Amino acid sequence: MKDRIANYLKKDKRTIYLIIIALVLIALGTGPFYMDVETSFTAYYLFVCFIYIVLAQGWNLVAGYTGQISLGTHAFFALGAYTTAIIWVHDVTKTWYYFDPVVMVLSGIVPAIFAIIIGIPLLSRLRGDYFSFGTLAAAEVLRILILRGGNFTKGAGGIRLPGSFFESMEPYYWVAFLLAVLATGVVYYVTRSRIGLALKALREDETSAASHGIHILQYKVLAFAIGSFLMGIVGSLYAYYLFMVQPNGVMNLNWMFLPILICILGGNGTILGPIIGSFIIAALFSYADIYVGQVHPMVSGVIIVLVMKFMPTGIMGLREKISPRR
Amino acid sequence: MSDVSLITQVFINGILFGSMYGTAAIGLSLIFGTMRIVFIAQGTVIVLFGYFCFWLFHLFGIDPYLSLIPIIIVAMLLGSGIYYGLFKEAAALKDRIGSLLIAVGLMFFLENFMTVVWTPNPRAVVTSYGFSAIHIFDINITLTRLIGLVLAVLATLGVSTFLKKTLIGTAVRATSEDAEASTLVGINPNRVNAVTFAIGIGLAGIAGITMATTYSFDPVYGLDFAIKALVALTLGGIGRVWGALLGGILLGLIASLGSYFVGTDWSQGIVFAIFLLALTFRPYGLFGGAGQKS
Repeated sequence: MKDRIANYLKKDKRTIYLIIIALVLIALGTGPFYMDVETSFTAYYLFVCFIYIVLAQGWNLVAGYTGQISLGTHAFFALGAYTTAIIWVHDVTKTWYYFDPVVMVLSGIVPAIFAIIIGIPLLSRLRGDYFSFGTLAAAEVLRILILRGGNFTKGAGGIRLPGSFFESMEPYYWVAFLLAVLATGVVYYVTRSRIGLALKALREDETSAASHGIHILQYKVLAFAIGSFLMGIVGSLYAYYLFMVQPNGVMNLNWMFLPILICILGGNGTILGPIIGSFIIAALFSYADIYVGQVHPMVSGVIIVLVMKFMPTGIMGLREKISPRR
Repeated sequence: MSDVSLITQVFINGILFGSMYGTAAIGLSLIFGTMRIVFIAQGTVIVLFGYFCFWLFHLFGIDPYLSLIPIIIVAMLLGSGIYYGLFKEAAALKDRIGSLLIAVGLMFFLENFMTVVWTPNPRAVVTSYGFSAIHIFDINITLTRLIGLVLAVLATLGVSTFLKKTLIGTAVRATSEDAEASTLVGINPNRVNAVTFAIGIGLAGIAGITMATTYSFDPVYGLDFAIKALVALTLGGIGRVWGALLGGILLGLIASLGSYFVGTDWSQGIVFAIFLLALTFRPYGLFGGAGQKS
């Protein structure tokens, strides 16, 4: 009897997973119906989590699946935010909707193009740490360009957007939720497809992958561009949320460290890892902010060190260690 | 002041300025070379020693250059402490992002510790001789900056002799060339790594004193410093002691010539653009050599 139940569970594991995923999606997706999104802390917390998930999945695709550590997340995020702000202020697309999907997609495409432009020279010649330095340097060049962009980017003061459009948090919640689902879906799809297979092959052994006919540069740049697209689109959402796009805000180095921290904590190179990591980090940072106030980044620093020292493979890695089957 | 002497002045300022980054870059380069750890907290540690120097001067009236001795000792102890306390396990892992994150965590902690305890106001060590300068032809060389350059060169000389002449120094070089093979010939990686960290943080102490005596600094200045040192080390070629110093000087030259010819606002951008170009075309450093495996 026991065996039969176990067998049944094993066979229908997929269905059970699907049911769980569907339930979680419905519970989170209908949030505004049973929560007061305007004032509830939980709703705000979930909103922050969704933003983190998108960023982390973008980074995860590049670092977790191709093994290239990008230190340029903040550049792509800022590029997305600036694209939205500039299009909005100059009314380039002539569509005056709030949360214009066209603008958001464009805000993803611009960072993706930037990623391709810097990705081709960097990824074709550099590997590992040198690639990391290169992305960091490219981001710093972009920062100077934004700071000295004159009237186009409004320099250090940043671009102020018409805040009168703000009516309710509800659309923010839903858009962030959709983006998080989209980002996870994209990463899931990409990694399960031929592309993902190629990416994993070249992460394990580049020379061997190349000798099996995988075009290394093409796949790496593709992953880099898709990751940047996700980061840019969430940057756009952030611009709509803050109504203020400033170099110090959107190009803050926290935007670079956060996804790394989230992915490593959750488990790099897994679908679920960045999601778990986002929920934990968002909770940690917001509670630390409330309870220890000014000292919060200090506590966060200590927590980062402790986690990395005692749990370097992340939570998903921990699960692999516990469970007997691999 | 004629045009020629103005440009010479800019040139010399660049060299003096860059030697400070060079000192930081040597430490970074050694740590990166042996353990492949990007020790991004280096700049913040330098600022910490800048504060040490500042408080020793303010509270006890100890001359900044006299405080070199206690600070270097403390720094080296702190360095091996940091290794044994934080990086020992991470250095053994193949995946190096963990150690990068530990460094980030350390940086966050120190930065905010200094902000909370010592306020975010910028500080500077102002000594009685701080403004005296040497005049040669039409050129002004500030004494403290000159001492900074001398310290940087002496430190480089000291480290390179240490690496060449002593047994443990040879072990450090061997580990830096091939970590696996060095354990095969019986080198204890922990000891080598701890020594490397001690030297790296010791150099941070020297750079901290140079910084405190020549510029004003605040707690969040560290990351910028570390990134510049990273640029210097990549320009000079990873694992080369003199290369790192030269890389720092080159960085200083680019920055000061850039701000003279193009504008102060752009100098940082120019530095990073040249860094990108150098990475793309000469990824293993500008100063000769076939380079090492990535």
